[in-house]
Amino acid sequence: MCKDMSPLEKAIQFHGHVCPGLLMGVRVAEFAMHRLGVSADVNEELLAVVETDSCGVDAIQAILGCTFGKGNLIFKDYGKNVYTIASRENGQAIRVAQKFRNSRTPQSQRYRELVCKGPLTEAEAAEKEELIALLFEQLMSTPFEELFDWKEIDFEFPPKAGIFNTIQCTRCGEGVIDIKATETARGPVCPGCLAENGGR
Amino acid sequence: MERVDRIIPAEDGSIFLESVFGERRVIKARIVEMELVRHRILLEETPEAVVTQRIQELWLEPATDHGHFHEGEEVILRIFKGYNMKPGEGLSGDGLEAFAVADGVSRAVPVQEHQGSMEINLGQEADGLLQVYVREQGEHELYGKVVLEIGHHHHHGLQALGLPLEIVPAGYSHARLGENYEFQVLAAGEPVAGLEVKATYAGTHHREHPHRLRTDDNGRARIFLTARGNYLFSVTHNNVTSTFTLVKSF
Repeated sequence: MCKDMSPLEKAIQFHGHVCPGLLMGVRVAEFAMHRLGVSADVNEELLAVVETDSCGVDAIQAILGCTFGKGNLIFKDYGKNVYTIASRENGQAIRVAQKFRNSRTPQSQRYRELVCKGPLTEAEAAEKEELIALLFEQLMSTPFEELFDWKEIDFEFPPKAGIFNTIQCTRCGEGVIDIKATETARGPVCPGCLAENGGR
Repeated sequence: MERVDRIIPAEDGSIFLESVFGERRVIKARIVEMELVRHRILLEETPEAVVTQRIQELWLEPATDHGHFHEGEEVILRIFKGYNMKPGEGLSGDGLEAFAVADGVSRAVPVQEHQGSMEINLGQEADGLLQVYVREQGEHELYGKVVLEIGHHHHHGLQALGLPLEIVPAGYSHARLGENYEFQVLAAGEPVAGLEVKATYAGTHHREHPHRLRTDDNGRARIFLTARGNYLFSVTHNNVTSTFTLVKSF
């Protein structure tokens, strides 16, 4: 695309659709950029520790440039909408946690029902369209502190992502990076083969 | 349906509704209750299909998938007639006129049929902003307008074209998803207050326009953009229906 995309547009294009989860991630990403005074990452100046694998993480990747492939997206499978964004450049880090709510709004509840329903009738598709438009505006206009708790934290930066040698697995013959291989009696074995053979 | 002016029951069990804005609808329904002092009439729809007579809309869409044309590129616009951004059948070139306006200078441009649809081919246009509109005259006049960006980063103000009824962006800029978009409705150059503006977008599942806005005392209204692709704004006043296509790059 020849024109610059907005952060929101980048997130939607990366994720493939608009949904409340993505929009929450957009809010986190935009807040982090503003609070830390940074722009999208190029080469691991920024680091994101995400405690969820939900839609919002796509916004973190698309907007902040903290990505799985670059090694500056660290995933902790805690099932919590909590994000820590850290800047190596200025040494600052913030921890952002989505506020817990005991109940959903009727619109949010109904949206969730339609998302989980499977094939929708035309009327249901129109209803879902209307709900996402409503939720979109709500989530993008609600003050940040009503949606999230956040604080500055001390953060220990891990080393930047390393580059390792590739060696050959002696069982399957496929390449595996040396630090992931396990030395066995017959030679280095990849994690996949190790798991298939009971850890031997 | 708002500001209903006439309700006419028919012998076949349908009811004809017409609003002060000229919108018409025929529904299979019965009158349950009338509270005239409270200006309230309660209808109950019967299970049979809704038959709607809608005011047709005329609109333009640029033949580009990224919201603008580059200098040197052929500028092509497709003309549609239908409702809620869903084309109907049978748009012919009869009575259809088109005009392109750049820097306040207007010129007539030909409308031609191409592969079964009507289009305007402006050829290559100079870098800048171009307003194009189509007109179909008749008992009920139809107008459709679009603002095209040739090249990039044109943010200067737009002048109204002086159409009998016109939707004008309130300061041209790139309309973005997730942002508010403001416009003004003018009738013969003057702001129109309290007018309903219908808004829809490409690919909507709604049978009717998903958004109904109302102009304020300055003829302005605003909408938060939540859908990808182009939006269409439509307004009807004094036997004229005028649309404006908001072209978005995303």
